[in-house]
Amino acid sequence: MIAVHDLVKKYGTFTAVNGVSLEVRPGEIHGFLGPNGAGKTTTIRMIAGLLKPTSGRIVVNGHDLASEPERAKASLGFIPDRPFLYEKLTAGEFLRFHGGLYGLEGPAVAETVREMLALFELARWENELVESFSHGMKQRLVMCAAFLHRPAAVLVDEPMVGLDPRGARLIKDVFRRMSGRGVSILMSTHTLEVAQEMCDRISIILQGRIIARGTVPELRAMSGNPDDQLTNVFLKLTGGSALQEIDEIV
Amino acid sequence: MKSSSPVPFPYLLLPSIWASRNRAQRRERGDVLRALTFGGIGLAVGLAIFGGTFWLTWQLADFGELGDYLLRAGLSWLFLTFLSFLAFSGLVTALSTFFLSADLRLLVAAPIASRRLFYARLIRTVGHAAWMVVVFLAPVLLAIGIARCAPYSFYAIAMLTIVPFTVIPVVVGTAVTFALVNIFPARRARDFLMVTGLLFAASMVILVRYIRPERLVRVESLPDITAFFASLQSPITPWLPSFWAGETLFASLHGGRDVVHFAALWTTAMSLTLLLAAAHERWYFSGFSNAQEARKARFTKLRGLERLASGLPISAVRRHLLLKDAKVFFRDVSQWSQLLLLVALMLLYLYNFRVLDLDRIPYMSGVIKNVYAFVNLGMTGLVMSTVAVRFVFPSVSSEGAAFWIVRSAPIGLDDFLWSKFWIGLAPVLVLTEALTITGNYLLGVDRFLASIAPVVVLFMSFALVGLATGLGARYPRFAADNASQVAGSYGGIAFMVMAVLFVLIIVALVGWPSSVYLLNRMRSLPMAASQRFEMSVCFLSAAAISVATWWIGMRTGVRALERLE
Repeated sequence: MIAVHDLVKKYGTFTAVNGVSLEVRPGEIHGFLGPNGAGKTTTIRMIAGLLKPTSGRIVVNGHDLASEPERAKASLGFIPDRPFLYEKLTAGEFLRFHGGLYGLEGPAVAETVREMLALFELARWENELVESFSHGMKQRLVMCAAFLHRPAAVLVDEPMVGLDPRGARLIKDVFRRMSGRGVSILMSTHTLEVAQEMCDRISIILQGRIIARGTVPELRAMSGNPDDQLTNVFLKLTGGSALQEIDEIV
Repeated sequence: MKSSSPVPFPYLLLPSIWASRNRAQRRERGDVLRALTFGGIGLAVGLAIFGGTFWLTWQLADFGELGDYLLRAGLSWLFLTFLSFLAFSGLVTALSTFFLSADLRLLVAAPIASRRLFYARLIRTVGHAAWMVVVFLAPVLLAIGIARCAPYSFYAIAMLTIVPFTVIPVVVGTAVTFALVNIFPARRARDFLMVTGLLFAASMVILVRYIRPERLVRVESLPDITAFFASLQSPITPWLPSFWAGETLFASLHGGRDVVHFAALWTTAMSLTLLLAAAHERWYFSGFSNAQEARKARFTKLRGLERLASGLPISAVRRHLLLKDAKVFFRDVSQWSQLLLLVALMLLYLYNFRVLDLDRIPYMSGVIKNVYAFVNLGMTGLVMSTVAVRFVFPSVSSEGAAFWIVRSAPIGLDDFLWSKFWIGLAPVLVLTEALTITGNYLLGVDRFLASIAPVVVLFMSFALVGLATGLGARYPRFAADNASQVAGSYGGIAFMVMAVLFVLIIVALVGWPSSVYLLNRMRSLPMAASQRFEMSVCFLSAAAISVATWWIGMRTGVRALERLE
């Protein structure tokens, strides 16, 4: 559903993403892990069509993003780490506008908007201005928008930031339900428990390169200890010696 | 439910329309005051423009063909002035609407055809860049039409002329922005804005130098004005849209039709728009992608500031607060580029004093010069108020979501607010003292006035900066996106109203005794004891009002911050 081939992004002499290739299959929740500055957000923003790759190819639902950007984007839902919302629109207006961008129109849209708002527990806020929403509510509204047009694939950058436990549980349920319907989800996260609990496969990126990929048991095997928690596996693979240094300093 | 056809480009303008409707429906505190203040000022300015233009057009009608020529040249000159303004305004606006606006992340990620996004953004750019010109032109053209008893078709043609006239320069400005964003890495947006700001300032000075308005004061007869307008003509003038617009309107004023120039306007506007659309298709995404990389901007370490601050006799806390504010200011292009434009406008203002050759006009004696000194003082007060509302009033709000750092730190809120005061006072004082001293020097005003004005400005600066800082703390808007939004809030408007009243009172309190003194000296009369007493009372009152405004403003601010939850 999402296929990325040899993706490279350079900023002057600095290479942020260096030959990343990955594939997210229909119905798969694919975790995208890596330390800060490893290239996760840059990769996701290139797939979302917000950044121009220096080289490489991105295909979404069979459409090449470079040659058929509109068709590729029509199949995608995007949940950014710092979402933009029109503060002076109501939640309902924002979703109707967003639906229109994806070609949704007619009386059925209002019904879908209500369904999505109910699903994300925002129904009673439909006619309130977005500016009055808390961070978590805004996050859920963005998710409503991302799923509104029934995308074939969804990109999620840090989904759990700012969500309370109830909100986090809700999001996990929605993601599972959507993947059950065949939606591919590529999810970048720092919350390793979430990745361990939800992801079918995980790719770990370090300094712009994918250094490991597989299911959680496969990653454990790669780290040399099949009983390790994902946190320990992650630290071993991405260079956990820093922790030891911290212990020495503190 | 899925649409068979993609959304048309006007759909992309809906959020702005809905947001405006929502703002109108849900009034916030101060909205009525704001609407009345701005509406009143706008109406007064509109009526003044209408009245002035009507009177001038009416007078020119007495001079037959010569009057017609002057009206025609005047129209062309007016449009020429707007042409450069629109091009610059388009250039700056396009940077925001096409590359930096936050909603672009949502729109570019959506499956919208590039062409549709282009047209929606272009309309927004033209609207933002040109509304001021349209608002100014409307009373001018209405007045000309009424004064010349123009047929109804004149007004229809005027509307149809203004559209392509505004589109052409804005499209050219946008094209330059496209090129610059693709040529320079967007992380150097600061350099880019600095260059454009300086270019604009330079173009304004060159334009004024080119026009040489001082000639208007020197002329004693109409032929000189004719020569003045003739000097504005250059070989390229007939190729400019300003000339086409002027000619089209002049022809329709008498019921005629200048089809050639009217068609030139529309065909140029349309073909330039199509060319820009093609350029957008080809280069927009790479430019936008560059703009997303702007976060890692270059910056200077401003070590000079640190050295300067280390020499100040203030506590370490105040020094660090001062340094932080200064660095944030100098690294925020949107802040100082506007200050740069203000400096450019000030230079123009002073330039006018330099070129006004008042001695050549017999009745412009020393008295008039000294009256100008008070006008200069009033103008300085208004400049001071404007700078204070734009740069000092938002200083507390600019802490935004980071205000918790100050509140949770072991420092007094008075330390925090006084640091805001001093950092605001320095530029305001330097700017306005420079304006006053240079303006009075260029005018050659009386020594007494020339020495008293800087002292008055010193007092006014303390008062207005204190008031702005204090009211800014009392009515903070931590959630505002930018400083302009804070300046336009309820507190900002309240400050402006108070500031203008303050300036008027101070100018009156200083002006009256000064004029008494000057008149006595002109008549070689000694000052009576009662006059001396009254003069002292006025000067002392001005000083007392200034000190009270300063002190009460700051006290109010500190208390408001302490009460803040």
